[in-house]
Amino acid sequence: MSTAEPTVIEITAAPIDLNALQRAVTTPRDGAVVLFTGTVRGQTGDVETIQLEYEAYTEMALAKLRQIAEEMRARFPLIHGIALVQRVGAMEVGEPTVAVVVSASHRGDGAFEAARYGIDRLKQIVPIWKKEVRPDGSAWVEGDYMPAVGD
Amino acid sequence: MKVKLFATLKERAGAPEIVLQGAATTVAEVRQRIAEQYPHLAALAARSIVAVNHQFAFDADPVHPDDEIALFPPVSGG
Repeated sequence: MSTAEPTVIEITAAPIDLNALQRAVTTPRDGAVVLFTGTVRGQTGDVETIQLEYEAYTEMALAKLRQIAEEMRARFPLIHGIALVQRVGAMEVGEPTVAVVVSASHRGDGAFEAARYGIDRLKQIVPIWKKEVRPDGSAWVEGDYMPAVGD
Repeated sequence: MKVKLFATLKERAGAPEIVLQGAATTVAEVRQRIAEQYPHLAALAARSIVAVNHQFAFDADPVHPDDEIALFPPVSGG
């Protein structure tokens, strides 16, 4: 039954259209949509970032995004639509790099919690990497999560 | 047997894929072959993740000649 709900899973080089994603996951039964987006942060303490460059292992990333959508539905059974979108390629400060969108009938139906779960999980298990371009050079950012059996 | 590489590993190898000589029947053996045949990748590979057919794989897991094997650092998407 839940598989009939709108589910948008994308790894894309194109700019993320947040309004289009909101429309894509919203069904006539929904009165609440939670949208998380991550953007390129230009300033981290004293460190300046000019650009982030993202690379994905696309086939596996899509499989893992689909898995996360299933995990979200299992944990938050009242939610309806889900969008999990990661942009790849080079992005400038302020640009959306990722979007997690969840719709539900009411805001108390787990939409906030599901969106939080979705972005946290994406950062753990979806094979995507970013390279940070700073004024003094560039470096790959490495995560710290080591997958376990069942991930 | 081919192994796809990503991010730091791809850059260090100078190629998106390496080829391993000799058979490997487990993930542990794949890791061992990489360390032996690509010593400049060994340190990075030791703290990297192995995926087989788009699923995370662990030392005791089996690998077959036609499996899609990948090696990559802890992820940093988002």
